[in-house]
Amino acid sequence: MDSKNLSANLKKLFEIADWFDKQDEIDVEEGLEKVKEASELIKASKDRLKKIENEFEEIKKEIEHE
Amino acid sequence: MEVDKDKIYSIGEFVGALNVELKGIKAKIIGEVGEAKAGPTGHMYFTLKDENGGAMLNCIIWKFKYSLFGIKLEPGMKIVAYGNCEVYAPSGRLSFLCDTIELAGEGELKKQYDELKKKLEKEGLFNAENKRPVPAYAQKIGVITAKQGAVIHDFLNNIGQFGFKIKFIDSRVEGAGAVEDLLAAIKTFIKKDIDVLVIIRGGGSMESLMPFNNELLVREVVGFPVPVVVGIGHDKDVPLVCLAADKSESTPTAVANLLGESWEQARFILAKATGLIKNAGILIKNKYQNKYNILRERIFSNFKNILAGINSELNHIDKLVIINNPERQLKMGYSIARAGGKIVRKVGDVRPEQNLELRVNDGEIKTKVIWTQKI
Repeated sequence: MDSKNLSANLKKLFEIADWFDKQDEIDVEEGLEKVKEASELIKASKDRLKKIENEFEEIKKEIEHE
Repeated sequence: MEVDKDKIYSIGEFVGALNVELKGIKAKIIGEVGEAKAGPTGHMYFTLKDENGGAMLNCIIWKFKYSLFGIKLEPGMKIVAYGNCEVYAPSGRLSFLCDTIELAGEGELKKQYDELKKKLEKEGLFNAENKRPVPAYAQKIGVITAKQGAVIHDFLNNIGQFGFKIKFIDSRVEGAGAVEDLLAAIKTFIKKDIDVLVIIRGGGSMESLMPFNNELLVREVVGFPVPVVVGIGHDKDVPLVCLAADKSESTPTAVANLLGESWEQARFILAKATGLIKNAGILIKNKYQNKYNILRERIFSNFKNILAGINSELNHIDKLVIINNPERQLKMGYSIARAGGKIVRKVGDVRPEQNLELRVNDGEIKTKVIWTQKI
């Protein structure tokens, strides 16, 4: 997992969400693995998103003060 | 020379020694021209006598010098001559050898001035259409004047700081000897790389300004390869050099101002242009500031929306994962029943006495189906 690649993480998360939607019979073990993977991806993506938001605010402030 | 009283000299020896002494006795004499005639080689032989007729001297001026001063010696003319006496050994005749000659008396000066002016005018030497313009932004300037006195300082103090390259030649500007200096200086400047030649001196009487009425000097000024600007203070009769020059100013300071004028104008234009460019910059900035602000807001707002969208997607998936988390269901007390490896969803999926596996939160339970009943 590349914690900096938000787009790739989102793509994976969508795949997991689709997987859950398509399951008639939930395999508990596999489902659990998917949940674990999704939780890690969500945490990393939220951290990355926060960093991006902070950088964006800095850039915005610099430009507005020019 | 010390005369040896015991020695007997030959005539030649004595005259030779005498001439050495006489050469050291330079004097300025004034008198009226008596007879005047040119020799076969062009040298002028004439007599000078006092007005009251009491004394007379034979005089000689060599051809080269005679042509220099532009004076045509005629009987009755009053002149001042500078030079020394010499005895011509073959004849024993004493003569005054003239280094310079100049006219004496306002009347003579005026007469010679008018005649020369008329002659040169006739030749077109003073014609306005022949005047060359003083070059704008002249940088290499040749200056002829006397290094003594205020003139050169006035000129340098007023010309301004525009990176001028000034070449200066010191010259006498007064008296008969000045002609020689002025001509030599002009000849030197002909070979120099200059944009304009400047000849300056302060004001003076007609007599003191006579070198500037010299014919040779006038012709040199007219024929000079680059424009000539003169600044010679004068009263009524304009020196002929002033008439011949491409531009004549009344004082050396005025010449300096003239040469600095184009540079001053350039400085003014430059300052004005700088101001215009600055103002134009402000106008352009104001004009585009608004557009720039709108574009900036669009970009910021779009990106903010993208980030908000991503955040919302993440929250949605987060909820989805929580809902689908099997552990959560099991913790809540639900269990998953399997019979023959398949998940049991309805009564018909099992039969009595069949083995059943139950997955609960913390492990598995194996049991058997006792009976079934549909609800």
